[in-house]
Amino acid sequence: MMENRRILSAMFGIAQGAIGVLSAVLAVLLFLNILEVQTVFNVPPELLPLGLLILGLFSVFSVISGFFLIREGRR
Amino acid sequence: MANEKKHGLSSAIIMGLGGAIGFEIFALLNYAYFDLAGPSMISALFFCGIINLITMLSYSELSAALPEVGGEYTYTKVAFGGFISFMAGSLRWLASVFGGALAAIVFVNQLGVLFSVFAPSIQDLVLANASVLIVGLVVILIFLAIRGVEEATTLIVAAFLAIFFIFLAMSIGYTLTPQNIVPEASPDSLAVFFATAAYLFPMFVGMRALVAGAPQIKNPGKNVPRALIISTVLLTVVYFAVAYVAVGAVPLETGVTGDGLPLLNRAASTIMGPIGAILFAVAGIIASVSSVGTAMTVQSSILGGMSRDGYLPKALEKAHRRFKTRYIAIIASSLFVIFFGTSGAVVFLGYAASFGSLLVFALVNLSLIQLRRKMPRLDRPFKAPFYPFTPIAGIIMSLLLLAFPVILRDVNAESALFSSLGLVGIVLVTYYLRMVRREVDFHRLRVAVGGISVGTGLALVVLTPYIVPPSLFIIMILVGLVSIVAGVLNIVASRE
Repeated sequence: MMENRRILSAMFGIAQGAIGVLSAVLAVLLFLNILEVQTVFNVPPELLPLGLLILGLFSVFSVISGFFLIREGRR
Repeated sequence: MANEKKHGLSSAIIMGLGGAIGFEIFALLNYAYFDLAGPSMISALFFCGIINLITMLSYSELSAALPEVGGEYTYTKVAFGGFISFMAGSLRWLASVFGGALAAIVFVNQLGVLFSVFAPSIQDLVLANASVLIVGLVVILIFLAIRGVEEATTLIVAAFLAIFFIFLAMSIGYTLTPQNIVPEASPDSLAVFFATAAYLFPMFVGMRALVAGAPQIKNPGKNVPRALIISTVLLTVVYFAVAYVAVGAVPLETGVTGDGLPLLNRAASTIMGPIGAILFAVAGIIASVSSVGTAMTVQSSILGGMSRDGYLPKALEKAHRRFKTRYIAIIASSLFVIFFGTSGAVVFLGYAASFGSLLVFALVNLSLIQLRRKMPRLDRPFKAPFYPFTPIAGIIMSLLLLAFPVILRDVNAESALFSSLGLVGIVLVTYYLRMVRREVDFHRLRVAVGGISVGTGLALVVLTPYIVPPSLFIIMILVGLVSIVAGVLNIVASRE
């Protein structure tokens, strides 16, 4: 039972950590407008700071949450 | 200490005006006039002056009773203790970051206006490289702030008043188009009026610089309240007159929009010709550079004070070995100024700066009420008249101004409010981690992060069908589900 939980934690930890890192990458792409991402996602300029803030917060919390789960999975 | 108190009433008034008269008039009138209230923006300015005066009465009582360094941070600390003062300090810092970023954008815009007179091709180059110029400006000002370069506030205030006076004097010979500056008595019109007042509010808030400088003023119990009241009245009259002339010179009926020249530059160009355009552009550049520099110094001072009291890492208090300035705090704050400045979102930053200041104003008024109850025998050389109506009116008006732009569904205001609330959320978590549990309790943190994960995941799953395009539907649902499961796993984790 504990072994299953450990595997589950590791899996979801890696998935959530990856989501967090990808969100951070997307935030940087949006901020610098690399590859015209702002146009691709149709982000109005007035909503850009809010979008970046939400992505940044989501990214930080996802990475921390993923880190806790990966740590549990490696025990 | 005694020999440091050297400024009299006139210097105190200049200090108040110096804090308030600045780049905001170049940045904020545009949107308020062309996109929000039209000519009734002038009445909204007058309303801002009244709110500012009411809260300045509270500031006057508090600064006279507690003339120590720290301003709002000190008042809320004495009145309520740690948490509220931490909130007040953080909000003040945030408002200053937003204001500094806005000033950096105004610098580039005014530089563009200046070049538009001489060389339109260079203007295009300036506007195309706005982010690079903002980063360059902030980096130069970081070096100057670390070296502790003093500003010539008196000179800047005198120059500004002189330019405004010339502008007003020359408008006498110009036929201004009469405008109806009174808002219509309909719910929609009133909502727009209050939203405009909220947006224009940062034009007044800089006056609290006088409160921060109270320890350097002779007989602060008497001079600070007088200077605050006189400078508020003077400022309201100057802004009212300048805005009235600008609106009369650039009537909306002519079909102009806010896309080209800013309102004030356009009005100066109409009334004074090319000289006016150059004069106002130079004034805008000087004001914005000065404001970015002041914002950086204020931010480092706030961070340093909060670090000294143990709320923030000690590194932020660290002084430069040679120049004795808090260089780490200056650099840290400047990074935020660059981040928001390069976004170029003028209206967002105007609202965000206003919201931070309005919340601080509400906290200062609350502190006044609390201190009257908690410390009735405190020596108060000046007492706010009509207590408790004055601070209560200050709180209600601040909250009204916060609410109306959102009620109006102004997307910039919503964006600014939610961003500010998000940053306040980070502030609360920081306070909790540093003060409530000095040693970070990882299990608690894990449960908290798990809760956030579940909440975010649920929000994603529920909102995805409404806000996400069909091509991203499955991906977003998957992200939401992963967040929910990961959150639950963190919440149910044992303390072991």
